[in-house]
Amino acid sequence: MSETTLGGIAGRMPKFLRRADPAVVTAFACIVILLLLGSLYSRSFLSPEYLLQQLKVASFLGVIATGMMLVILLGQIDLSVPWSVATGAMMACAAAAYGSVGVALAIPFGVLCGVAIGLVNGIGVAYLRIPSMIITLATNAVAQGLMVVYTGGFSPQDSATAAMRYLATGFTIPGVPNAVIIWALIGAAMVFVLTRTSFGRAVYGIGNRERAAYLSGIDTRRIVLIAFAVSGGLSAFGGVLLAGYASKAAQSMGDAYLLPSIAAVVLGGTSILGGRGSYLGTVAGVILITLLQSILSVMQMPEAGRQIIYGVVIVAMLLLYGRAPASR
Amino acid sequence: MDGAAPLFRMEGISKRYGGVRALEKADLTVTAGGIHAILGENGAGKSTLIKIMAGVVAPDEGTMTLDGREVSFASPAAANQAGIVCIFQELSLIPELSVADNIVISDPPKRIGMIDRKAQRRIAEEALARAGASDIHPCALVKDLPLSRRQMVEIAKALARKPRILILDEATSALTAADVAKVFEVLKRLRSEGLALLYISHRMNEIAELADHCTVFRNGRNVASYPAGSKSDNEVVELMIGREYSHIFPPKLGPNAAATTVLEARNLSWADRLDNISLSVRAGEVVGLGGLDGQGQRELLLAFFGVLRGLSGEILIDGKPVSISSPTAASHGRIGMALIPEDRKTEGLMLPMTVRENLSFAALDRLSKGGIIDRASEQRLIDDMVGLLAIKTAGLDIPVGALSGGNQQKVVIAKWLMRQPRIILLNDPTRGIDVGTKQEIYQLMRKLADAGAAILFYSTDYDELIGCCDRVLVLYDGAVKRELVGAEITEHALIASALNIHGEGAGPRQGVGA
Repeated sequence: MSETTLGGIAGRMPKFLRRADPAVVTAFACIVILLLLGSLYSRSFLSPEYLLQQLKVASFLGVIATGMMLVILLGQIDLSVPWSVATGAMMACAAAAYGSVGVALAIPFGVLCGVAIGLVNGIGVAYLRIPSMIITLATNAVAQGLMVVYTGGFSPQDSATAAMRYLATGFTIPGVPNAVIIWALIGAAMVFVLTRTSFGRAVYGIGNRERAAYLSGIDTRRIVLIAFAVSGGLSAFGGVLLAGYASKAAQSMGDAYLLPSIAAVVLGGTSILGGRGSYLGTVAGVILITLLQSILSVMQMPEAGRQIIYGVVIVAMLLLYGRAPASR
Repeated sequence: MDGAAPLFRMEGISKRYGGVRALEKADLTVTAGGIHAILGENGAGKSTLIKIMAGVVAPDEGTMTLDGREVSFASPAAANQAGIVCIFQELSLIPELSVADNIVISDPPKRIGMIDRKAQRRIAEEALARAGASDIHPCALVKDLPLSRRQMVEIAKALARKPRILILDEATSALTAADVAKVFEVLKRLRSEGLALLYISHRMNEIAELADHCTVFRNGRNVASYPAGSKSDNEVVELMIGREYSHIFPPKLGPNAAATTVLEARNLSWADRLDNISLSVRAGEVVGLGGLDGQGQRELLLAFFGVLRGLSGEILIDGKPVSISSPTAASHGRIGMALIPEDRKTEGLMLPMTVRENLSFAALDRLSKGGIIDRASEQRLIDDMVGLLAIKTAGLDIPVGALSGGNQQKVVIAKWLMRQPRIILLNDPTRGIDVGTKQEIYQLMRKLADAGAAILFYSTDYDELIGCCDRVLVLYDGAVKRELVGAEITEHALIASALNIHGEGAGPRQGVGA
């Protein structure tokens, strides 16, 4: 491949397109197509109220997928999402039952419980060299067990604090739900971390070639540990927001977020093998998946059919562009 | 052993890998009932020749005849079919399977589609007996056998394919002297049974004991063929050298006794790969590591860089003992060490990432404040490095994988120079790159040394060691066998000590090191 032809083709494109990953462009194109298809069914799919509502629903998945993306960029995976979400929600609600101090500390306590799960994952992957698929599945099961012991298997009676409800459903800026603002803030922070910090560079380096990163003097184990802790914390924070949205925590409330969070990251062009991907793609993937779920349910498709179509569409999209050739 | 028509003949065989010439019009004649030794330096073309014989790679030109008929092999299986079987350097056995399973693995006897276990066991017993290893039980698992027994199974596996030509590529390098003796008995018996054996080894004494006929390879050509025992060791070494010597190396300043010792090792040992190594490198000195490939040089560099676990012995920096637990510890802070690794594609670079990201990757801590990268100082340092090393790239934001091999290697070196290391370890840095870039690297190395860096340089190319190094330590079997200083560094001395034979006026030295 000669450098001149490469430069020649790239030179003719507008700058933002030249820099954009084709997968990200495809994901945004799919969103537009999905909305157009939906508008054929009902005009209301293009109304601002509906779109804003979808953005609000998407922000819960967005927060969770942010952590998942960090882990996938390392070439690992975090399967402890379901019960990290539920643990965050349940522990935040539980703390709320302990007077005014408990209410004040509810959100940080819930997030810290998720960080703890993430730290166990990180220690297992980075220091004990356990494959992430195994250790995160195991911590998920342990977290589930602990929560079942705590709640006795029923939905906990504690309810979310006012602060949690405000974060999930309130409006600080008129017309923009707080959940969307939170997702935007977390997303902006992640973009900054990935592009401007040495931690972000190290994450991409490890995902591309862990051995080269290690031999370059990067403390790879520390980076992996931090990434898993962040993923656990963000999952739990997603759970806190969900509890605020629904006013209380519930058993298996996180189950619906495992596949969508992975799918959103991968649909957004992040390589499942690690090392490649942008946060903008994850945003696109999250919106895409949320819209898909919404449109299927609005069309009053029976649950079984919805699941089948949902799965088939994800596989089809991954086939479409998820299998980028390895660059060498 | 009559002088009749040869069993196998190769004529005018050439093979190129990209722009690199591995074999150039090489000829080889193999007769039945004889042991034929092939000698040559690293990269002389021996392995390529054998791979062509065994059907692993196809020649670009040339003919091969077996029994007077022209043949060509599309795959190793085709070569096996024709009676050419190769025992490679690395053991090819599957540890979790039984000896019998391994012996018949490529073509197990079948009955109605199932493996016929009785027949399989019979074949394995026969093969083991023929290999002189009937004491090995066919049902034993390979992982339970010691290394030398595994090598016998390897030979039995080859014999079970009923070869007419058996190739042994460094097949004894993993064995102890006692085991080698057993293997030799077997090989001599096979010769008397009429097999043709092709034997490749770097151990001159083995060749002297075993071979009937020798062929020396150099630069992809067969330069001499002679009956074993008709030439002295020194003559053989002369044959293996004999290259024109190119003056592309910068002048050396000569030893500076006043310089302080920066890097020192005392009695370094690791597993069975490093054996009691002591050495020292002074500031401004380029110390070479010589010897055949795989005698512990790579492990030694990795040991200094904190990669190996369970290292015994002591490493001293500036005369003070330090414990280097990881590359992070080795490169950061007071130690200031850099390692240019062996394989730039998997160890030196992240190929899909940009030139910029790769260049600043090893120096991220220096380029950032509070974890946030200072883009201005990053750009400044990168510009300096691109200028200093004359890295040719279409831009800083293209993947480093799009660069040529030589420029990729420059990026690997540059990313470490961004840390301004005091100690630089180089692991065969010029492998697979063009002559022009090689020359630039030699000059850069001398420049860094003159500026006070201590350089430890491993190369598989003897010319480089002669041209670049103030001293050369020759490793053999994980230990320093000889130290060559200044004018003592000649190709003859390097090869002789690499093969662990005592050339003229070159006894092994005691007390290697400072």
